[in-house]
Amino acid sequence: MSTQEYSGNTSSTPPLTLDDLHVAFGGNRVLEGVNIEFAPGFNGLIGPNGAGKTTIFNVLSGYVKASSGRALLGDTDLDTLKQTGRVRNGICRTFQSPKLILDATVMENVLLGMHTAFKYGHASELIRFPAQRKEETRAREKCMDMLEEFGLAEDAHKETGDLSLGSQKIVEVCRALVGDPSVLLLDEPAAGLGADDVTILLKGLRRIVEESDLCLVIIEHDLDLVTTMCPIIYVLHFGQIISQGSPAEITSDPAVIEAYLGSGYAEGGDDTQGEPNAT
Amino acid sequence: MALLEKRNLERYRTLASVKTNSSGFPLYPPKASGIKGQRRLITSTGIFVILAFLPWLPILGWFTIFNPATNYGLGNIAYVFAYAAAGVGFNLLIGYSGTLGLAHAGIFALGAYGTAILSAPQECLDYDTCETIIRPAVAGYGWPFLVALPVVCIVAALIGALVGFPAARLKGFYLAIATLALGELIVKLISLDAKLWSGLKTNSGTGKQVPIFELFGSGQLKSAYFISLASLIITFVAYVIYTENRLGRTLKAVRDIEIATGPLGISGTYYKLVAFGLSSFAAAFAGAAWAQNSAFVNPTSFRTRLLVFLLVVLILGGLGKLWGPLIGAFVFVYLRQEFQDQQKLLFFLIGVALMLAILLLPEGFASLPDRMRDSRWVQDLRRRFKSAKVSS
Repeated sequence: MSTQEYSGNTSSTPPLTLDDLHVAFGGNRVLEGVNIEFAPGFNGLIGPNGAGKTTIFNVLSGYVKASSGRALLGDTDLDTLKQTGRVRNGICRTFQSPKLILDATVMENVLLGMHTAFKYGHASELIRFPAQRKEETRAREKCMDMLEEFGLAEDAHKETGDLSLGSQKIVEVCRALVGDPSVLLLDEPAAGLGADDVTILLKGLRRIVEESDLCLVIIEHDLDLVTTMCPIIYVLHFGQIISQGSPAEITSDPAVIEAYLGSGYAEGGDDTQGEPNAT
Repeated sequence: MALLEKRNLERYRTLASVKTNSSGFPLYPPKASGIKGQRRLITSTGIFVILAFLPWLPILGWFTIFNPATNYGLGNIAYVFAYAAAGVGFNLLIGYSGTLGLAHAGIFALGAYGTAILSAPQECLDYDTCETIIRPAVAGYGWPFLVALPVVCIVAALIGALVGFPAARLKGFYLAIATLALGELIVKLISLDAKLWSGLKTNSGTGKQVPIFELFGSGQLKSAYFISLASLIITFVAYVIYTENRLGRTLKAVRDIEIATGPLGISGTYYKLVAFGLSSFAAAFAGAAWAQNSAFVNPTSFRTRLLVFLLVVLILGGLGKLWGPLIGAFVFVYLRQEFQDQQKLLFFLIGVALMLAILLLPEGFASLPDRMRDSRWVQDLRRRFKSAKVSS
């Protein structure tokens, strides 16, 4: 395994900062003054449905323009960057429902994540110089290593549509990771995954985070997963951060219990059954 | 499971020159070794070699319309190649990038007129300065054909991308209508060229005689045939290379997951323009070859009717299929020549053929072998054959 490659970004990851972020769709105010400083490592983002979690991701990846406030990647204002520019600066994301080409192979889908890493253009693709072939092989090697890390190497040349939804979600995570991101936004990566898949996914993510200073933000409804993985959790409710801190602090915060966890959680149930708004 | 994995890995390793990662997983889709793995390359080369020697081969001789021994048959096959080449470009645009751009008739016209006008000799009405009189009706700019052809194709590709620029922001019907209008506009604009206005007046507009380029003295018809074949081979090879490499998967991403291309660093608009440009290049090349074959171009040849023809070729042959355009073009040219005296019947038949194709063979004639193989009847036969073999 050549996982050393993923730790290529040795420079300190610019912390991702949301500075008084407001988003409104017409009169519907979705985010109302969100201030977060995401640190390298795992960051959890939880909250009931419609709280604005995915909207934060959409602002960061350039789908939605903030009505006021800023999102900063290090010193760079993300507002000045186009979507492709954000990717080049190291922001990658996944989606709630996997967005994959179903009639292409898993390998081809993962290779899409390295799009910005290719140096050779499409004009010379017609001739395919040896250097260009080598580049393609190197890219495939990296993708294969990544797939192997997440237990999908055997399926690399299968059509993506033949895979289960859980595997497809892992493929999407692989696709986001091969681009060597400095900030990775995972939107409900464990929803629809079997217990085995979740274990593999978390093991892989943990390893990569340990080896690089990747800043990983996870939106997840599985509270167990978030509390075990993330040293710091942010709770979003009606577009505002109502609580932030360590898992223990979050789960004992009365505001969080009222808004999201439900009273059943505080009474000692450690399962997620008490989670009223989980899908 | 572990045993199976191990066996698979060993199998991959034993295949010759398979590139693997450090733990032995193959980086490219596993391919059978030896001749079996090169089957497609061999069949494609074989088919194109046969097509190249067709003028001297007695096959298809029983087939009046495609009899290569006659000028009529040779010309028809050349038309097939030109339509197929345009179809291959169309296939890239519709099948891969998923954009229904309908400006192709205009781009085809650009290729035909462009080469015709650029390569025609310059006007000369004075015996003192020139050997033969070149009347305005046949005059042009006097470029060599082999210079005019690439220039016209590249300009057409740029114009195609330009057409695609407003279109890349539209979708579905709006895109189809917008590009259709722009294609018609190109045909209109072409006829604004001064050298064209002085062309030959015909019932349906101002036509232009096409100076025939002779390829190594092989005769006018044969050189038109080979230029058409070259246009098909070049577009075909480029199509195969592009669709199997990075451009192919990127275009597929633009087609299937356009919403997600931004966070992958892929600009959807840019790749749509690339697809427009490449397919326009193919269409212009095909148009130039078509003009060499028909020897006379007329604005009416490139109206919406040509676009309908191209779509028919594509749908009959199979959208997104490699050999679809060639098969579709053969079927279409056959129908057109067989019923050329009964235009109304021809259109009726094309309509019926289209409906039958959509109902019975939605993936076109090129999918026929696969359909046959998967049909219950053939599978039943195969099973019986197997059991008979076992019992004996």
